[in-house]
Amino acid sequence: MNRTLKKLFSNAASLTGIILLVFFIIIAIFAPVIAPPFSDDPYQIPRMSWDVHPQPPGFPMSDNIREIYDYMGTEIKYDKAICGTAEGGYDIFYGLIWGTRTAFKIGIITVSLSMLIGILIGSISAYFGKWVDEILMRLTDIFLSFPFLVAAMVLTTVLGRGLDKVMIALIVFGWMGYARVIRGSILSAKEETYVMAAKALGVKDAKIIWKHLLPNTIFPVLIQGSMNIGSMVITAAALSFLGVGAPVGYADWGQMVSFARNWIIGAPGNAGQYWYTVFYPGIFIVLFVLAWNLIGDTLRDILDPRLRGEL
Amino acid sequence: MINNRKPLLEVKDLKTYFFTEDGVVKAVDGVDFEVYQGETLGIVGESACGKSVTAFSIMKLLDYPGKTVGGEVIFKGENLLEKTEDEMRRIRGKEIAMIFQEPMTALNPVLTVGFQISEALMIHFKISKEEAMKKSVELLKKVGIPIPEQRVNEYPHQLSGGMRQRAMIAMAMSCDPSLLIADEPTTALDVTIQAQILDLMRSLLKDFNGSLIMITHDLGVIAEIADRIAVMYAGKVVEHADKKTIFHNPLHPYTFGLLTSIPRLDLELKRLDTIPGIVPDPLHFPVGCKFNPRCRFATDRCKEEEPCLVKVEEGHLVRCWNIESVIKEVKKGLLVGV
Repeated sequence: MNRTLKKLFSNAASLTGIILLVFFIIIAIFAPVIAPPFSDDPYQIPRMSWDVHPQPPGFPMSDNIREIYDYMGTEIKYDKAICGTAEGGYDIFYGLIWGTRTAFKIGIITVSLSMLIGILIGSISAYFGKWVDEILMRLTDIFLSFPFLVAAMVLTTVLGRGLDKVMIALIVFGWMGYARVIRGSILSAKEETYVMAAKALGVKDAKIIWKHLLPNTIFPVLIQGSMNIGSMVITAAALSFLGVGAPVGYADWGQMVSFARNWIIGAPGNAGQYWYTVFYPGIFIVLFVLAWNLIGDTLRDILDPRLRGEL
Repeated sequence: MINNRKPLLEVKDLKTYFFTEDGVVKAVDGVDFEVYQGETLGIVGESACGKSVTAFSIMKLLDYPGKTVGGEVIFKGENLLEKTEDEMRRIRGKEIAMIFQEPMTALNPVLTVGFQISEALMIHFKISKEEAMKKSVELLKKVGIPIPEQRVNEYPHQLSGGMRQRAMIAMAMSCDPSLLIADEPTTALDVTIQAQILDLMRSLLKDFNGSLIMITHDLGVIAEIADRIAVMYAGKVVEHADKKTIFHNPLHPYTFGLLTSIPRLDLELKRLDTIPGIVPDPLHFPVGCKFNPRCRFATDRCKEEEPCLVKVEEGHLVRCWNIESVIKEVKKGLLVGV
C-alpha cells in the first residue's frame, strides 16, 4: 500500500489529479465558510438581482433584493457577485462552491451504489454459473442495450424532477459495466486452487465470494469506479442542462451551464460578453472530471496485475 | 489383520463422468476401495487416470460438467453421495480434509496464512477470532514452521514452497479430520523438501490416528508412506493390495510395468523398461480390458470382455484375465529383488 501511495505522489499526472481533488475537497468542506448561505436551504443559489440578463463579475447586490433580506431580517453575508450572475440574477460564485458538494454527492453515491449492485450481480453470476449466469447476464444485456443518456433521461422524467431522481436513474443504468468486469475476473479466479481449497474446508459460498474472490478481483472495478465518478458528474450535469435534473436554482454545475444556454453566443457585436456564465461552471466540471480520471489512470497503472509483477 | 475392522471409508463402484461437448468422458468408471481407521491408502496411477477426480468425488467438490453418476461413498456408515450441500459443508474440513498439489496456488495470495488456517476453525468450532488465531499459531508450530507467531500474520508469497505446503497441512489438520486426502502433496516440491513433508505427514498421522488417502504417481512416495495401495488405470482400480504384495508380488500387468520402469540402483540394467503405448483417450477407451493395447499378456479375450476385480487371495484384488501368465513371469524372476 505504501508503494501505491508513493507512486501516486511521484507521478506528475496523478499528482495533478490529487492536487485538483484536494482543492475540490477543501471547497466542499469549507463551503459554508467560503460562501455563507443566506437561507435555510444552503443548496438554493441566492439571487443578486431579478435581472434576466447575466451580470458581469463584481456585480453588487441590487437594492430591491437587499430590501427583501432586510425585511426578512436575514443578515447579508456578502453583497458582490464575484464571478458575476447567471440568468435571473443567480450568483455564480455561490453556485460553484455549493455545486462542488453536489458533484461529490452525485459522483460518490451513484458510483458506489451502482458498483455495489454490479459487484453483487457479477460475482453471483460468475460464481454460480450455469442458468444463474445466463439469467443475470441476459438481464445485464437488456440494461446495456438502452442508450445510457437517453435511458437516464427518460427515467428521470418519469420519476420527476430532483437530484435524487437523477441519481436513481444513473444507478439503474450504470451498474452493468461493473457487473461485466467483476464477472470476467471472478470467472478466471474461481478456477484457482485456493477456491477449491476453501470449499474443501467447508467455507460457505457467500464467504468464498466475499473473502476469497473479491479481494483478488476487485481492483479493476475500483479503478473503473474512480474513473466513472467524473463521467457520472458529467452525465448528471447533462441531465440538468437538458432540464430534467436539479430543480431551478439548485446549486449544481450542470444547472448553471443550463442557465448560460441562452447567453453562450454573447450579444450582437460582442461574442464574449457573457463569457462568465459558461466559463466558470464549465471549468469546474472539466477540472473535477479531469481530477478523477487522472487518479483512476494512475491507479490502473499501479494496480494492473501485469505491472504489479515487480512487487 | 484388517478384515475384522470396519472401514472408515468405503468407495463402491464410484462412477464420475464429465459431460463435455465432444462426448461423455468416463474419468472414474467403477472405482472400489476402502480405507480403515489409522491406515494410509495410496492411490497410484499415471496422469489423467482419474486419481484426483476420485478424491474430488468423495468430497463432492466437482463442478459442472463433472458429475458423479453412480456408486456409493460410505463414510462412517453414511453415504456421502446422498448428503445435501449443507451437510457436506459440515463434513468438509471437519471430517474429511484435503491437501492440494500446488502449495503456490492453493493458498489465497491476498489473505494471511493465519486467517486461512483459522477460517476452518471458526466455521466448524464456532470459536472467536482470537482463539482461532492462537490455535493457528499452535498448528503452525506443530507442522514445523519456525517463528509461528510471526508467520501467522504473513502472506503466502512471503513463505517458501515447503513452508507453504506445511501451512496447507496445518490448514487441513486444523479441525482434526478423521480422513485426510492428499492429492500429490509432494509433486510440486523438490526432493529434500518432499522427504521432509512426508516425514511430517507420517508423524502427524501417528499423532491424530486418522486415515490418509495419498494420491500420487510417485511409487517412491507410496513406498514411503502407504499401508495399502490401489493402482488405477483409465478410471478403474486394476489392483488393490497391501504395500508388500504390490511391490513383491504384483499380479496386474500394469502394476508390473510400473514397477519395472522405476530406475534401480541394485540391478544392472542397460535400459529401463517402459510400458509401450500411451494412456488411451478417455473419449475412446478400447473395448474390453482398457489396458489391452499396451499389455504384453493380452489375449483375444482381453479385447472383447472387460475383466472384473477378482479376489486372488485375502486382501488382494486384481482386474485381469491372465493372472496365471503374470505369475509365471514373476516366478521366472523378471522382478528379482523387488
